Amino acid sequence: MRSLVILAALLLTLGQPALAGTLEYRMRVDGLACPYCAYGIEKKLKAIDGVESVEVDLDRGVVRVITREDLRFTEPQLEKLFQDAGFTYRSMEVQTLP
Amino acid sequence: MTFPAAFRHAFLLAALSAVPTCAVAHDPIFGLGPHVLYKGGVEIALDTAVERAGPERDSELALELTYGLTGDWAIGLDLPYRNRRDVPGSSDGFGDPALFTKYRFWRHDTLGAQSSAAIAFKVIPDTADSDQSPPLGKGATDALLGLTYGYESRRWYRWASLRYRRNGTGPNGLERGDRLLLDFVVGIRPRPSGYLEPDTVWLLELNGEHAQAAKRNGQRIADTGGREWFLSPGLFWTLRNFAIKAGVQIPVHSNLDGDQPETDYRARLILEWHL
Repeated sequence: MRSLVILAALLLTLGQPALAGTLEYRMRVDGLACPYCAYGIEKKLKAIDGVESVEVDLDRGVVRVITREDLRFTEPQLEKLFQDAGFTYRSMEVQTLP
Repeated sequence: MTFPAAFRHAFLLAALSAVPTCAVAHDPIFGLGPHVLYKGGVEIALDTAVERAGPERDSELALELTYGLTGDWAIGLDLPYRNRRDVPGSSDGFGDPALFTKYRFWRHDTLGAQSSAAIAFKVIPDTADSDQSPPLGKGATDALLGLTYGYESRRWYRWASLRYRRNGTGPNGLERGDRLLLDFVVGIRPRPSGYLEPDTVWLLELNGEHAQAAKRNGQRIADTGGREWFLSPGLFWTLRNFAIKAGVQIPVHSNLDGDQPETDYRARLILEWHL
């Protein structure tokens, strides 16, 4: 009985990352010159349910967004989001994080 | 016709309140830039300005609220509290509030850089107390129209702007002269910083002001109008959504008509939050 409990606990622990999977979006954005102005991007992205973190790389013009696995961004959605923030969206790459 | 000291205050008042025209984010301290606010964004700014010209001293603490209607269009409200001092005495109270808007009609984004142009409009109604001496009000509603271009990159900044202030006709047919303001600004970020790091940009502005002579009932008033040019070093320090902006206007050329006190200096300090 004790072995069964340990086995069940082990399986639950191992299964946890699969249940809480995340996606990494890397969005190419033009016009990013200063950190103060980029705050609007962070605010708009973090207002979306499922966005867990936002990082802005000003030198590379890349916004890295970690989201829940079920969150899917579309190109028109991102074009509008960055337009409303005062920047120009170019492209995105997405990958599932292990 | 000589120019009464009481009316001269109105001109100084106009000069001081001509400076800010919807200054948003990385805009020059004294000039006008094309920056607006992100859609749905709120900017709260505490803006202090001081001007000294001979025996006259005018200081102002203003609360400025700006809202981003779209990614390219912002509106705002400026609520100043003023203190004026002159040889005969001093006066305190609320100054004229102002309503302003700015629309960025052109923007070109590249990797790490942005060029843009905007128009701005500001209305300054006459609501302040004009019965005190020196008066806090200017006796008429004024309007200001501005056009600006700006370029910003990870290291360099440059702006140019032109503003025209149309001063309304006050009591007794007093027409304070309209003003034309011309600004050229350069800025440098010595160390390009990352997001969430403290960021510093140094600015150097060249601000020119041309004021038409005042008239009363169509008659030109002596000792009014003229030109002044200022060299204005400034600083822009930010951390995430908080900014401190500061600058001093130092007169480098003055050609005022008749006998008028030349501006000794103007200074401005702004604390600004984006919410």
